[in-house]
Amino acid sequence: MAILAVENICKSFGGLQVLKGVTLEAEEGQITGLVGPNGSGKTTLLSTIFGLTKPDEGSVKFRGQTITGLPPHRVYEAGLAFSFQLPRLITQLTVLDNMILAARDQVGAGFSGALFLRRRWRRQETELAQKAMSILELLGLVHLALHPAGELSGGQRKLLEIGRALMSDPVMMLLDEPAAGVNPVLGRKIYQKLRTLRDQGLSFLIIEHKLEILLDFADRIYLMDFGQIVLSGAPKEVIENPVFYATYVGETKDAAFSS
Amino acid sequence: MYLLDTLVFMGIFALLSMSLNVEYGYTGLGNFGKVAFFMAGAYAYAVTAALGWPVYLSLVMAALIAGALGAVVSLPALRLREDYLAIVTLSFGEILRIFVKAEQWLAGGVWGKTVPSAFAGLGLSPKTMAWANVLLVWAILAGVFLFLHLLMNTPYGRVLRGIREDDVAVQVLGKSLVSYKAQALMVGSAIAGVAGGLFAQYIRFIDPYMFLPLVTFLVWVMLILGGPANHWGALIGALIVEFFNRGSRIVKDYIALPFDPHNVQFVLFGLLIIFLLLYRPYGLFREKPMRTGAEVEVSKWQSSP
Repeated sequence: MAILAVENICKSFGGLQVLKGVTLEAEEGQITGLVGPNGSGKTTLLSTIFGLTKPDEGSVKFRGQTITGLPPHRVYEAGLAFSFQLPRLITQLTVLDNMILAARDQVGAGFSGALFLRRRWRRQETELAQKAMSILELLGLVHLALHPAGELSGGQRKLLEIGRALMSDPVMMLLDEPAAGVNPVLGRKIYQKLRTLRDQGLSFLIIEHKLEILLDFADRIYLMDFGQIVLSGAPKEVIENPVFYATYVGETKDAAFSS
Repeated sequence: MYLLDTLVFMGIFALLSMSLNVEYGYTGLGNFGKVAFFMAGAYAYAVTAALGWPVYLSLVMAALIAGALGAVVSLPALRLREDYLAIVTLSFGEILRIFVKAEQWLAGGVWGKTVPSAFAGLGLSPKTMAWANVLLVWAILAGVFLFLHLLMNTPYGRVLRGIREDDVAVQVLGKSLVSYKAQALMVGSAIAGVAGGLFAQYIRFIDPYMFLPLVTFLVWVMLILGGPANHWGALIGALIVEFFNRGSRIVKDYIALPFDPHNVQFVLFGLLIIFLLLYRPYGLFREKPMRTGAEVEVSKWQSSP
């Protein structure tokens, strides 16, 4: 059974119909890729799944539970994590604080817990700091852990955005272009990490324009155009299909992969 | 005596400034109705103290009433964008003041209400009484300072700071915006309520004209000057503004000037704020990094090879 099932999602902004009945499924323990030309509605679809925009029609089911229209923090509680295309960091707080902010089930995150369970959350903070550091190590941000997030470069911000999503121990991650703005080697490293996590049982729905990376790592690919899914299948099948070149790559297969 | 009087007012305004710091400095909520919660606290104290309640119970009541009002205001207000929140809170302050003015049965309406002093009947000399008031106000201020300092260096404080910077991101990280914002407004309002109770207790007579929006703006000047998201900033900002506020009245008596320095100070505050925002937008004191114990762990990690 699919872990995430999106059915017939429609969304308009004013007179502009961005999503025209999108239906897709992501399987448990797989990396599902979502590609398509700019403006085809990929990001809107992701934010609709996460409750950041309310759909006009359709339903979203996650692990059999309907999450359509729930506020983002409830979607997070259901086990999803989201990483923005343009990082939205807490710039005045340190990299470490940004990471810990994302952690699940914090004893001291509530008002009374912060006041009365001091010893417990202090211990938890230490554990979370260790966990944050092991993720930051992977992303090469250890030396910046105590710097304000606002001091990071564009690429580092992107990494922190992904690290933050990892910090929340989700069942499934929605990632909007995780390899954009990151150097190719690091981009691959990020995907290798994602693949390791997938092998441990995590599921992913990823928007990505870097095809050469995505085709290597994705288990299934959906192609979106004008607010609809036009093609889906395993990466191999997708690159064999002429529709893929007509709508997305803009060349014939031979031209795209020659040189 | 005048000095002691100034000290009491400094303490009361420092409480207000710190309460605004919770809302604006840490959570990013522009509350322009601060005076309403100050007033609610003052009247709650006045009414309960007149019924013969002991000081501490009356102060608790002042905090509860003001905090509850904070919760009420937060219901409609927190679904609004920042600028609209400012308008809603500003008008709420005026509504409450005009309401109290009109309703004579409640607390004397426009005639005001006398408040029994906490130290009456102890046979204290006026001077000792003034000292007792200074001690009471500053002891509570110290308690609130410590409480807020601890609260803002917890995971809870981290969430509030996050909401200030980017509330969408914090939502995506699984924190419910409405409840955090409402709590921040309640805590801030409750502290303002305590300040109001102390104010009523000290001056022993309150009427609605003491709670004009000017009070709110003065508190804002204090916080912006001192530095939002820094408790020392909120405290020192309040001391400085109150010092000039009082000082200009003394200057008037000793130096002959062609203008009234007490009125000119408001012009100067305006100028000061403009220059401050241009050249030192974070105020006199900057926000400090958080201390929760996690940063210690990181330093250990970084220093190990």
